[in-house]
Amino acid sequence: MTDPSPGALGESVYDVFARKKRGEPLRHVGYVDAPGDALAKVYAWKTYDEENWFEMCVVPRRAVLPVNRHDGPWGK
Amino acid sequence: MPEYADYELTAQERKAKELEAEAALKAKVQGGYILESPAEMTPGYRKALVVQLTVQADTELMSAPAYWFAARHAPTANTQVSAHAIIQDELAHANIAYRLLEDLGESKEQLVYGREPHQFKHPYGFDQPLDNWAELVVANGFFDRAGITLLGDVHRNTSYGPLKRALVKVDMEETFHLRHGEVWMRRLVRSGRTASALLQRCVDWMFPMTVEWFGLPDHLKRHSGQLDYRLKGLTNDELRQVWMASTVPLCERLGLKVPAHYCERLDEYVLDYPFPCEYDPDAKQWLFAEGEISWNQVFERWKGRGPMNEIYVESIRRSRDTVASWFN
Ligand SMILES: [Fe+2]
Ligand SMILES: [Fe+2]
Repeated sequence: MTDPSPGALGESVYDVFARKKRGEPLRHVGYVDAPGDALAKVYAWKTYDEENWFEMCVVPRRAVLPVNRHDGPWGK
Repeated sequence: MPEYADYELTAQERKAKELEAEAALKAKVQGGYILESPAEMTPGYRKALVVQLTVQADTELMSAPAYWFAARHAPTANTQVSAHAIIQDELAHANIAYRLLEDLGESKEQLVYGREPHQFKHPYGFDQPLDNWAELVVANGFFDRAGITLLGDVHRNTSYGPLKRALVKVDMEETFHLRHGEVWMRRLVRSGRTASALLQRCVDWMFPMTVEWFGLPDHLKRHSGQLDYRLKGLTNDELRQVWMASTVPLCERLGLKVPAHYCERLDEYVLDYPFPCEYDPDAKQWLFAEGEISWNQVFERWKGRGPMNEIYVESIRRSRDTVASWFN
């Protein structure tokens, strides 16, 4: 299921991953709707500010390829 | 989607099969089963979850303009920053809940921009104007506490995995909003009589407003799908008690009068006014003297929405079409 409604501003979903400290796993912390990569990074950094993240990245949801199950949010 | 063999069934048999599937899922989640995708849901589960998430999303969204209009009353640059940090959190919380709805096949576009203002499902409290700094900090102390009471229970108990994980951030931030409210209430009480009187005035209308927010009492509530599907853990009355158990002692410590007290015999908090009762939004006053009303009258008032409903909704949507037109 990808973004069913990109909306009038042409936004799509990006999933946000972050780790708190060195040595910790990168964990899925949330999602933002953004019209492109550059703004997705800004939105993620400003939105998920509940921790002092050591590392954060965003992934366009359409780039996530489910391997063993196709019924979750990353399924197509 | 009905299986191939289902076409052989009579309508009655199909209905029985559906009920059986609902009952099986209810039993599974009561045993601790966590759902991870819409494909695992029965229609009943999905419907109950959509209702819950819509209320959650709309409440977060509408708290933002309510706090934003009130943030103008912040006394210093630093208080402006903390007030706006709370507003930023609320918008992020709203986005999270609408995102979860999109993953269930609902449209955020339609929910945020396609509905009439009165169709939003947030509580009546967020249709009211917050007219000074004291009202904003009591809203943090009372309304955000209601938020964390409700969402903390969902976080601990929900059978929907994506929601459970999303609430980690939300709970953390709601705790900050609540502390902001408590610290400022304490400061205002200490500052002297003018602020104490103002604070008391806030408590007088906002305490019953929050009590009502928790909804129908258990003895009137028909069966709750949200409990059966384990989308939450506590009943309306239990949640109302949790909220009062922290709010009443806080107010008593601050020397603020609240229309509720702890009853030792019943081992619970008891309201000292007719509940539910009518509210005059222009005077910001509960009409205790007019006595108890029916819950149908309360639902009528909620449906009619409060004085700021249209203004708040329009403040969130006003420029979107203009900006969107630049791109088309
Ligand atoms: Fe919130
Ligand atoms: Fe909040």
